[in-house]
Amino acid sequence: MKLGLAIDLDTCVGCHACAVACKEWNGASLMAGGAPDYDPQGAAPSGVWFNRIRHYEVVDDGTRGGCESATRTVNVPMSCMHCEDADCVKVCPTGASYKRASDGIVLVDPDRCIGCNYCSWACPYGARELDEVAGVMRKCTLCVDRIYDQNLPEAEREPACVLACPTHARHFGDFDDPNSRVSRLSAERGSVSLMDSLGYKPVNQYLPLRAAPRVDVAAAAAKPVRDRLRTWVNKLIPI
Amino acid sequence: MKPAISVIFFTVASGAGLGLLIWLALLLLAGAPIDPRAFVRVLWVAACLVTAGLLSSTLHLANPKHAWQSFRRFGSSWLSREGVFAVLLYPATLFMVWQMPGTGLIRDLAATVVVLLAAAILLCTAMIYACLKTVPHWNNWQVRNGMPLFGLMSGGLLLLALWPLFLPDRSVRAIVVVLLLVGLALKYSYYLSYRRIGESAPTINEALKLGLEPGTGKINARVRLLDVGHAHGTFLTREFGYEVPRSRVLGLRLCALAFGFILPVALLLWLPQLIWLAAASCLGGLLVERWLFFAEARHVVRRYHGMPMT
Repeated sequence: MKLGLAIDLDTCVGCHACAVACKEWNGASLMAGGAPDYDPQGAAPSGVWFNRIRHYEVVDDGTRGGCESATRTVNVPMSCMHCEDADCVKVCPTGASYKRASDGIVLVDPDRCIGCNYCSWACPYGARELDEVAGVMRKCTLCVDRIYDQNLPEAEREPACVLACPTHARHFGDFDDPNSRVSRLSAERGSVSLMDSLGYKPVNQYLPLRAAPRVDVAAAAAKPVRDRLRTWVNKLIPI
Repeated sequence: MKPAISVIFFTVASGAGLGLLIWLALLLLAGAPIDPRAFVRVLWVAACLVTAGLLSSTLHLANPKHAWQSFRRFGSSWLSREGVFAVLLYPATLFMVWQMPGTGLIRDLAATVVVLLAAAILLCTAMIYACLKTVPHWNNWQVRNGMPLFGLMSGGLLLLALWPLFLPDRSVRAIVVVLLLVGLALKYSYYLSYRRIGESAPTINEALKLGLEPGTGKINARVRLLDVGHAHGTFLTREFGYEVPRSRVLGLRLCALAFGFILPVALLLWLPQLIWLAAASCLGGLLVERWLFFAEARHVVRRYHGMPMT
């Protein structure tokens, strides 16, 4: 199995619900070991998040014949990509950082982690954050303590972020199965991997923006003579 | 990258100590006339430098009680390899000292093992940084070769300072001068290529796969950060967001080059009686060089935060 997420950049509205749900579930999770906050009610709150959403602006420079409507706000949620060739796993001196052979999930064993931060240096996605209270590295577990839990109804055996997403921009599944929803969506939409030039083969896929409808400004401005005449006559009506 | 004092001290002190150890073992191998007491005295300094450095490196661990487990991933992790070689170095060095009064094959074998282990540790330290594709300013030949070279170079200066018997020896002095000049050229070329290295990092478009022409991958739209999503600092901004004030960069780089390389060469060539000053200047310069090495290195995760890579 190659478990991972497919995230639709076209439908994500950047509400941070996935990050909050992640924090809610993993903050008390035994598997993830917690995601502490530092000074949460203070002047400069900070803390560990396994999932962060950043917001970007994409401005078409006109080479595709774009116009004002080609400027878009894009919300990009990022968490561990569970890379196939994960350097964070290779650089770890103790083996605390490991990738499960059965489903490809990358996890941290807190009983082995020395808190050297080296794995966070090796990760290009900023997916690993040090828990400064426990002194061990924390990261997304794909909610490994939900997805296999037989006590949960089957529909709820998904990562907390996927269940929480109000626009269904997040999809969870097995990328090894060509008929899974994530595989089909990725194939249909021509999914991309973020910063794959480093060669770590990230599993999580991003479904790209759909082409924005083109507005032909010149054609819209050129109204037929009859329309212009009607507008002029309408202006003469004294009400 | 955040310049952690413990790691800066570790790489400079251990580097010099390992370099000195290599020099001492090479003197044994070369059959130089050696007073055993003086040899052990200098070796003691090398051992103290290496040990102080290694202990200092554990200070940046958030969970040092698990440090004993860090020999497990010798096959894949340069950090693990460094630990294994460092632990092996101590018995090897003791064995060399024990065999020192004698002559012959066993002593030479012991000295060779010490040279190989110390060189391996220097290389591992360099590779810990140079293997990271996420930090382009480290992932290059200058870093791969620089750390071992600087260790050998500062170790050689320490040898001449602690053991002035070898100062009149033109061969040792000449080798140290050559090492300093090669080191100077390497570090100068690194500073010259700093901007180009930063520009070669993936762009924000490539990082996000946005604004790229389908098929060709050419950039066709400008991407910029609107909102980083957090109100105050995060682990990521604290670890990777360090900025050296632009006005200080040139001065600090010149300091590193002048004190680390140029002044020691000048003193060695024209005022060899000031060898202590040369050694101290080199170590001081290397501390500045190492601080810059961390503070100026840029991690690619900065792209997602809209931060510059140069």
